[in-house]
Amino acid sequence: MDLIKKIAYTLGIAGIILFLIWDLPFGEPVPEGRELIRYWFITGAKEEVPYHARKFNAIQDSIYIESTAVPWTEHEKKILTGIMSGNPPDVIQQVTPVVKWASRMALIPLDEFIHRDNFDTTIFFPALWEEMKWEGSVYALPVNSASYAFLYNKRLFREAGLDPEKPPETWSELLEYNRLITQRDQRGRFTRMGFIPHYGNLQTSILMAWQLGASFLSDDGTRISMKNDETLKAFAWIVDYYNEYPINDVNAFMAGFGYAEQHGFLSERVGMMVLDSSFLDQIERYRPDLEFGVSFIPAFEGYTTVSSSGSWWLAIPRGAKNPEAAWEMIKLAVAKDTQLETVAEMEESLFPGTREAANDPSFLTDEMTEVFVRQMDYARSPSIVPMAHDVFWREFHNAQERVMFGLQTPEQALARAERIVQRALDEAMSYDRFVRGRMSITDHEK
Amino acid sequence: MKRNKLYRNITVYAALAIVSLVLILPFLWIISTSLKGDEDIFTTPPQWIPTDLRWENYSTVFDRMPYIIYFRNSVFVTVMTIIGVVLSSSLVAYAFACLRWPGRNALFIFVLATMMLPMQVTMIPMFVLFKELGWLNTYKPLIVPAFFGGGAFNIFLLRQFFLTIPKELFEAARIDGCSEFRIYWNIVLPLAKPALATVAILTFMFSWNDFLGPLIYLSDQLKGTLALGLALFVGQHQTEWGMLMAASVLMMIPMVLIFFFFQRYFIKGFVMSGIKG
Amino acid sequence: MMHGIINIIRRVYPSYKNKQIFLAFLFVSPWVVGFLIFGLYPIIMSVYYSLCRYDVLRIPQFIGFANYRDLFFDDPYFWKAIWNTLFYTAFRVPLSIIGSLLLAVLVNNAVRGIKIFRTIFFMPSIIAGVVLSVIWLWMLNPQYGLINSALLFFGVTGPLWLQSAEWSKPALILMSLWSIGGGRMIVFLAALQGIPQQLYEVVDIDGGSWWNKFWNVTVPMMSPVIFLWIVLEVMFSFQVFTEAYVMTQGGPLNSTLFYNLYLYYKAFDDFEMGYASAMAWILLVITLIVTLAQFKIGRKWVYYEGDQAGK
Repeated sequence: MDLIKKIAYTLGIAGIILFLIWDLPFGEPVPEGRELIRYWFITGAKEEVPYHARKFNAIQDSIYIESTAVPWTEHEKKILTGIMSGNPPDVIQQVTPVVKWASRMALIPLDEFIHRDNFDTTIFFPALWEEMKWEGSVYALPVNSASYAFLYNKRLFREAGLDPEKPPETWSELLEYNRLITQRDQRGRFTRMGFIPHYGNLQTSILMAWQLGASFLSDDGTRISMKNDETLKAFAWIVDYYNEYPINDVNAFMAGFGYAEQHGFLSERVGMMVLDSSFLDQIERYRPDLEFGVSFIPAFEGYTTVSSSGSWWLAIPRGAKNPEAAWEMIKLAVAKDTQLETVAEMEESLFPGTREAANDPSFLTDEMTEVFVRQMDYARSPSIVPMAHDVFWREFHNAQERVMFGLQTPEQALARAERIVQRALDEAMSYDRFVRGRMSITDHEK
Repeated sequence: MKRNKLYRNITVYAALAIVSLVLILPFLWIISTSLKGDEDIFTTPPQWIPTDLRWENYSTVFDRMPYIIYFRNSVFVTVMTIIGVVLSSSLVAYAFACLRWPGRNALFIFVLATMMLPMQVTMIPMFVLFKELGWLNTYKPLIVPAFFGGGAFNIFLLRQFFLTIPKELFEAARIDGCSEFRIYWNIVLPLAKPALATVAILTFMFSWNDFLGPLIYLSDQLKGTLALGLALFVGQHQTEWGMLMAASVLMMIPMVLIFFFFQRYFIKGFVMSGIKG
Repeated sequence: MMHGIINIIRRVYPSYKNKQIFLAFLFVSPWVVGFLIFGLYPIIMSVYYSLCRYDVLRIPQFIGFANYRDLFFDDPYFWKAIWNTLFYTAFRVPLSIIGSLLLAVLVNNAVRGIKIFRTIFFMPSIIAGVVLSVIWLWMLNPQYGLINSALLFFGVTGPLWLQSAEWSKPALILMSLWSIGGGRMIVFLAALQGIPQQLYEVVDIDGGSWWNKFWNVTVPMMSPVIFLWIVLEVMFSFQVFTEAYVMTQGGPLNSTLFYNLYLYYKAFDDFEMGYASAMAWILLVITLIVTLAQFKIGRKWVYYEGDQAGK
């Protein structure tokens, strides 16, 4: 028995060691003779190597781009440590805001490349393009975006006695429509609603504030203004809404919402909603029978519609070994052909970052898409307070939450938010002043 | 007498069954979800048995991540870590529990205190340290610290166990002229097998599921571990549920098997014979 | 040469007591060396950063104790985060410990198939944190989640759980109870099995009940291990993070903004690493005080059979 055991153990251990050191292959091998650059992309929902990276490898053979997926969970840590390691990837993909990284000297400015190649920067949507700049230099190029527009359910309109071809154009109209569409059961619980301001990615209140002309940051970038008349008016509208439709009942109603067919709008439980263009694909996939329309986001009377668009962008981290090659890839990613091919390939496509791609007939296939594209002309970048971006949005949401639950008045909530964001901005600027002149641009490359 | 035993057994089984049911339901959901397409997952009412079995969730997992390679890497890191932890933490715990020396209690509190600092803030300087050591993109940051004390948690755990070993044993051994190391190696360690095995399995769990360490220290995709591969299925706005669950199931199987088969090692009690007197 | 050194050492430390001390230092040296190499630098740096403004990618700016002052007197969420964390700890620790202890006793019966039951109990604890959070998001769904469906079965309408500011923390506490059969239970089980049978037999002879056995034999004999877990659980609960990060992002209404989560937002979203470091050190001090208090109290009720090295 002992001998057998010994043999078994030895074989076992040998097997384990063999397993551990054997070089198991995966994916494509790196072709010989090519310059290697590395690309870190963030996993979205469907994760394969992004189309633009694959195309890059396919259409030329002097550079090979090796793509590594970075999980969305705690991706900041990965990018941060990547840059700190002194050996970062050559291209990174990130999400709004650009300034978060650009202002910390984490990215290489692209101006030289742009001038050298006579790169046409007007191809981008203005809202996205503005966000790419920091202190006069360009640090990234937007590859994808999301365009939000107003979707409404024609069947629910009809059932409520509304004209299915006439979506609301003002917020007051929307409220009226909401009253007609909303239904409750015998126990008083909502079974159907017209519009829920806080359902979805885009907050209605910020759109309203923007429409009215709210300016959250002073021109010199030093003073925060959140308790301004416009935002107060937007919040007041929210307060009125939740007075009429108690928040706890609405939340209970929303608790049944999920993804895909269980989405509030797709399951026809919500009649009107601000959604992004990927929902066109989702509807086609999960509810092709859904009768709906797309229109511009409503506005206050006398004001123009407004939307919001952040972006997924590509940039070159400081310390990248091969910025030239990286630039070639980035250029390719925003080229019209690549953008259109990406859209064609993905099931739920992201909105392209360039106007030329968005306006191309192969993308602009129907009226609905066209609304999304037109709406982009009215889009604002969410990068409102570049140096205190996360704090601003956190406090905005917190303030809105407190107001929705009736814990504070809009004045109180926004005053508090303003105080907090102002302080964060002051800190950030004070630190920034300190660092300037003390740090040289090449510090990251050590 | 037999009647009592029967009643007792029935109550025990009943309790076991109830608790098992409560604890296992979410598992059944994991397995059931791993076989569904994304659309079927959030239906109301929940669908326990998928009508449309998607075995390809599992095969896609193998396409999406280099599962075998990650498995191998995870095994390597975990095994090395366990060896390091068991050896060094038992050594250190022995000093805290079985030897008298000035400053013992103060140092122990100090060791404990190192667990109280959230790693969020030590992470960055630690990263810089490993960078200076040239250990980036290797497994060393994940493995080497295990050999240096094995973590305050394990030291604490083993110390508590060692403290339950009766003094008489030590006295007898020392009178017989045993060196401390012999006592440690030949007496205490064998007695503490269940404790050591427990430390081993807890370390296994921690290391197997550790995602942050591999995330920041390993840049080559092929060096990743299973935990890292798993995280790739969780997206910003959408999560690939079916595949996430499939990957989780695959990741859990080794752990479950090891636990099931090696239970007796860490649950069998101390052998207390021959200690009287 | 080694022999020579050992001889010197032998001459310098002749007495038994000193030998123990010398060996003790030797045995402890792996940890000490490891700490000096891997622990000291990060700790010193984090202290330094806590006195600075620092965003990781640029150099730190020394500002003295301003971060600490701001945290205590000027931070809108500091006290809320502490309250949330304390609340969570105060409920989670007793429930987990008692639960695991009872389960360990249950599972200590050598009935047939006990191995399978033990494995079933153990399984929930091996699920990775992120996946666990994602599963519980579903389980806690007020409309179609398992929890409320089960409650409905008993005729109770469950609360909105994660979407309610009052029930969000209880929801997370409930979630943590699911791993009641994990490592903690295993440790308790191992300890249970180390209790000599004779002690129970004595109780039987004296005519004691199950309850007597539990309180007068089981608990005291296991007290070192129970104590261990109380101290550890408090420490871990103070650092709760992943559940809130994945499931609630601190909401609703900041009811699940735990200390460590707030710290994370400050460190990696706002890039205020200096501020976050100060937060970390405050947490350490609090945890240390609480732990020392526990040790003090522990002297009264923890029974060490073999503390042959003396207290």
